[in-house]
Amino acid sequence: MSGFDASHSAAVLWAPECWPRLPQRLVEMLLHFCGAPDWLVTIGGLVAAAGTVVGVFLTGFALLSLIERKTLARIQNRIGPNRAGWFGILQPVADGIKMLTKEDIVPTKAEWFLHLLAPILIVVPSILALGVLPYGREWVPVPLDLGLLFFFAVGTLTELAVFMAGWASGSKFPMLGAMRAISQMVSYELPLMLSALGVIMVSGTLSLPGIVAQQSGFLLGFIPAWNVFTPWGLSAGLVFYIASIAEANRCPFDLPEGESEIVAGHMTEYSGFKYALFFMGEYLGLFAISGLGITLFLGGWQAPFPGLGSVPSWIWFFSKLVVVIFSFLWIRGTFPRVRIDQLMRFAWLCLIPMALLTIPAAGIWHFAGGGLIGWAVTVPMLLVPWVVLTIHYNKRLAPATRTYTFADS
Amino acid sequence: MTPLSLLLIVSSLWFTLGLFAVLTRRNAILILVGIELMLNAANLNFIAFWRYGPPDPDFTGPLFVLFSIAIAAAEAAVGLAIILMVFRHTRSTDLNRLDSLHG
Amino acid sequence: MTPLLILCPMMILAALGAVWLARPVHAALFLALALALTAVVYLAVGADFIGLVQFMVYVGAVAVLIVFSLLITRPGDEAEELLRRPRSWVTGLACTLPVFAVLVYAASRHTCLPDAAPENPSLSVESFGRVLFTTHAPAVLAVGVLLTAVMIGAALFAKEAHASSHTEPTRKPNTPGDS
Repeated sequence: MSGFDASHSAAVLWAPECWPRLPQRLVEMLLHFCGAPDWLVTIGGLVAAAGTVVGVFLTGFALLSLIERKTLARIQNRIGPNRAGWFGILQPVADGIKMLTKEDIVPTKAEWFLHLLAPILIVVPSILALGVLPYGREWVPVPLDLGLLFFFAVGTLTELAVFMAGWASGSKFPMLGAMRAISQMVSYELPLMLSALGVIMVSGTLSLPGIVAQQSGFLLGFIPAWNVFTPWGLSAGLVFYIASIAEANRCPFDLPEGESEIVAGHMTEYSGFKYALFFMGEYLGLFAISGLGITLFLGGWQAPFPGLGSVPSWIWFFSKLVVVIFSFLWIRGTFPRVRIDQLMRFAWLCLIPMALLTIPAAGIWHFAGGGLIGWAVTVPMLLVPWVVLTIHYNKRLAPATRTYTFADS
Repeated sequence: MTPLSLLLIVSSLWFTLGLFAVLTRRNAILILVGIELMLNAANLNFIAFWRYGPPDPDFTGPLFVLFSIAIAAAEAAVGLAIILMVFRHTRSTDLNRLDSLHG
Repeated sequence: MTPLLILCPMMILAALGAVWLARPVHAALFLALALALTAVVYLAVGADFIGLVQFMVYVGAVAVLIVFSLLITRPGDEAEELLRRPRSWVTGLACTLPVFAVLVYAASRHTCLPDAAPENPSLSVESFGRVLFTTHAPAVLAVGVLLTAVMIGAALFAKEAHASSHTEPTRKPNTPGDS
């Protein structure tokens, strides 16, 4: 990440692969030719790179807020927003104007400073986390050696922000919502990190571009060598997927803001732009955690079929992101919300043991070289606990048959 | 002032403040806050001497800090669990009120 | 040096806040700030791995735990605490000032060290991990055993009160007259 590098020829610069880095290159070039010192060129380029990421994902946030409502409407046999613009395309703009012009209310019992700090602290970690993901072969906004650790470290900041929101509001629903949210996040962070450990062990690096590079190539000429196509990777990916739904506070794990129980959880006392910031933080967090899942298990920006080398790699990343996010929407439209004790028990008694089991499986896979021995040992090792746990918890966790007596019977 | 002495002064101040909190606070959880400050003062010293002290090819300082962080996490978890147990029995975390064995 | 000159006053202020503020939640949040600043100092002096671990464990786990138990125990009035402060603070200062004097004296006597800091290489994760899992493997195992014991112990502590709530609450069927 040194200053402007004049060796980049125009051909490399204008290749589709490098399009997302154009803003950074252009700013660097501009500053360079204006005679700015090297450190200013570097900083300007980094600001432009960060601006690209933030711009892309804020657009994604606006689009997703519309697509989510449209998809849910489709699942529930409704039409969804269709008034603002063709297909409701201007709905995010209308929502944004509404949010910005609403009155900002701070309750008298609230601590105004923490009340103000919380929505900011919700957004910051998501943006920081988005900054280290590798989006394409040439597009890694901040290539950190410890990218994965950095991602998890900044992610933990969200818990404190949720606590501040719940406590500073000075009323009971935010407090209850914050307690639920914190216990849920702490419990589901464990399987999230443990399931990433197997990937770290096999790829031998904490750098996210390095993890993507390790998943290159194809098995038998057509199966991509992504981690999800190995037994331990499938198991860890499943744990990661479920835990990331909970970590992003999505239905069926959206207890912290379960509106039928505790109004809007820790966001109850927020209005206007601060409320919009909470939503922004939630959606940016969703993008970040799905992006990490794609990087760890779905091969990052690697193409899904051989012979597609000419397509820019970031297109694959964003296609995978769309698929993963759509699956989240589908799940939200399909599953009912779980109860809080079911949620905690599921994390501690099912996800964490399975995540722990994938670690030795990844070790065996690594030392067996992934050949037949690896398959023969790890498949039964993981399949049996999954089946046993599923049967067991279906028996234990399924609600007891209730008897209802209706008034007219 | 060298960076080493700057960090050493900060860490001795932290240790003193942590000790002060342990001695003067009455809420058991806030006493734990003081203990965490003291532990971190020690960690800061290890990192400061690793970085600005004599060459240390075996990473003794960071290693000690890593183990210390792990043990501090365990200590905080157990400490808070005990405090919560006490709270459940007495409905209070005020250590001055835990005098039921007082003669 | 410059980042340290900015960070160190902030660290001292954050620690003062954690010790001085009467409301427990404020004190805990200042502790979180102080621990986060320590992580930044570690990053600034080149111990990246330790800095991120510090952030993850202290800010993400310990501070959240402390704050969460404050929420559960709901410590009430800080008026009482403020009332008895002058007396306890005199005692506290009388006990801690000698400690501080000794520490500063000891810190000022590191003259045996070279004045210009030798450029230690920054912490590379690979060599750090190699040392950790070869020379210090028994210690890693011991810490693993300790953490497992702590996890089980904390779960047992927590389970005692919730043992009754684990069973499915029995529901009385609604009688027609109720609705």
